[in-house]
Amino acid sequence: MLEIKNLEFGYKKGQPVLKDINLSLEDGEIGVLLGKNGAGKSTLFKCLLGLLKPTGEILHDGKDLTKISRIDRAKLIAYVPQEISFGDLTVFDSVLTGRLSRFGMIAGAKDREVVNNVLEELDLSNIANKNVNQLSGGERQKVAIARALAQEPHMLVFDEPTGNLDIQNEKLIFDIAKRIAKEKNMTIIIAIHNLNFAFAFGDKFFLMKDGIIKYVGGAEILNEETIDDAFGVGVKIIEVDGNKGIIFGG
Amino acid sequence: MKNQEKIEQNLKKLAKTHAYWYHKSMKTATLSTLDEQKRIRLRKILIIIALLILTVLMFFVCLFVGSSKMSVKDGFDALGWNSTNANNRIMWNIRFPRVLAAVVAGAGLAIAGLIMQTCLGNVMASPSTLGVSNAAVFGANLSIIGFAGGFLTMGKNMADAVNSFNPFAVSMVAFVFSIASTLLVLALCRLRNFSPNTIVLAGIAIGAIWTAGTTILQFFATDVGLSAAVIWSFGDLGRATYKQDYFMIGIVGAALITFICLSWRFNAMLGGDNVAKSVGVNVTALRVSALLIASLITSVCVSFLGIIGFVGIICPHVVKKLLGHNHVVSIPMTALTGSLLLLIADTISRSIAGGTALPVGAITSLLGAPFFLVMLFTAKERA
Repeated sequence: MLEIKNLEFGYKKGQPVLKDINLSLEDGEIGVLLGKNGAGKSTLFKCLLGLLKPTGEILHDGKDLTKISRIDRAKLIAYVPQEISFGDLTVFDSVLTGRLSRFGMIAGAKDREVVNNVLEELDLSNIANKNVNQLSGGERQKVAIARALAQEPHMLVFDEPTGNLDIQNEKLIFDIAKRIAKEKNMTIIIAIHNLNFAFAFGDKFFLMKDGIIKYVGGAEILNEETIDDAFGVGVKIIEVDGNKGIIFGG
Repeated sequence: MKNQEKIEQNLKKLAKTHAYWYHKSMKTATLSTLDEQKRIRLRKILIIIALLILTVLMFFVCLFVGSSKMSVKDGFDALGWNSTNANNRIMWNIRFPRVLAAVVAGAGLAIAGLIMQTCLGNVMASPSTLGVSNAAVFGANLSIIGFAGGFLTMGKNMADAVNSFNPFAVSMVAFVFSIASTLLVLALCRLRNFSPNTIVLAGIAIGAIWTAGTTILQFFATDVGLSAAVIWSFGDLGRATYKQDYFMIGIVGAALITFICLSWRFNAMLGGDNVAKSVGVNVTALRVSALLIASLITSVCVSFLGIIGFVGIICPHVVKKLLGHNHVVSIPMTALTGSLLLLIADTISRSIAGGTALPVGAITSLLGAPFFLVMLFTAKERA
């Protein structure tokens, strides 16, 4: 279980970017972070990943992540960024870098076995020896997820993972995320801009505005008023066959 | 009702056939993929073997080519101290330390380039990016022009310069300035959290200051001092002594082992700083220490041998194109390619000018630049 308590962070003294953040997610739950650009989503992710040093507590099963080593943190949380880069590595080698916190200097048989399993799981085995730069955007994003899974983490952080993808690949990536959360009972926290995908894949929603989490709850918190408040955009919520979605105007 | 059963039976049949063909096509696809993977691996192994054989071959070619016109048999005899005294001395006192310097400096400058490119996320990064070479040139110019090659003696004419010129002192001053320059760039970048762009820009700016300083020194130099300084800046493997070779072997060898041990950390850095940090890499510590080691290699090589350009750019690029970027392979193979390039360049430099060795730095650029351009413009456009 992930719990964030009274988290605060500012790049400059006296100018907090994140204010009194409180958040909790159960194992296997997908938490969706929503908000305008500059609302503080990426900064919150950086705090979670240990890239920034906030005040407050980030607890995973009671263990404070702000007080553990980089290596131990890498074994608990993995990261899937929006901008994917791998250099001129093959798919296999790119995914193997995810095992770095486990093997340190020389990858062993166990690490290669884990990578092979992950590649098979994500249907990437047939391109294992291909250069990642020769893959499509969707495939590259799958490789980034495979790298994160190779860390064997308890929690996955997706920072707008589908920002550069077409709708088909966007759905594919969210389907994979949902499957991982359920099958591996893994906590996933994800930032999305597409509210329709948020409805379809999220279990719990955190609507951020100006560095605070203003609304927390299930899909019911995403309504015309809260969306207008957080994004400054008039929308209408529609429901088709029990599935919610939004259309502009209202 | 019967019709319904018939339809269901047909559907089952269709599903079975479809599943069979699907399974069959998947099996074929998997087999062809395995074949492709084997082919890629075999190709890489063949390239590595070819590079190794070529380097060993060039090592001997470089030893046996020279102005004394020693035959191959005499060359082998001289290697076993079984030839004439003159041949033995030429082989062991002149050619061997020179060839050893080519192997070590080539390897060192090439891996310094590769590591700088990885750490700075910039494919054009090279030892000159941090101003290391420019600082070494300034140091050498100061020593030669200001102190006639030593520390205290002033040289006013060729006789003074020859009498007081101390190559080791020139190298030491060049070395001190290049290391000081690296430390200055890194100290400045501490203010900006060692971001790669800041390091590159600070390196270029500091490098420009050293170049300006060199120009001013040369402006006030005597003809003798200016000639000596300019000749120093030509890369020349003939300056290498065994003492210098052993020193370079120690530094480059230790750096090579360190870099190979850190290979997977460098691989993680290719994914960007945030990803590298998220898999447990201390990015700032790795970047600073790796750049310092790469600068140390460059300082040592440039101080002893003068400027040998382009090795640090061309070799990493060639290896990345042929064998990929995985540092486990690319670090040792870049070192090998650097040695090979410098051995070829040195052999050419001593063969084409009729008894006079041309500056090896000019040959590396003359050889490397066109080859690099061909690779750049014939490479397939990536998706």
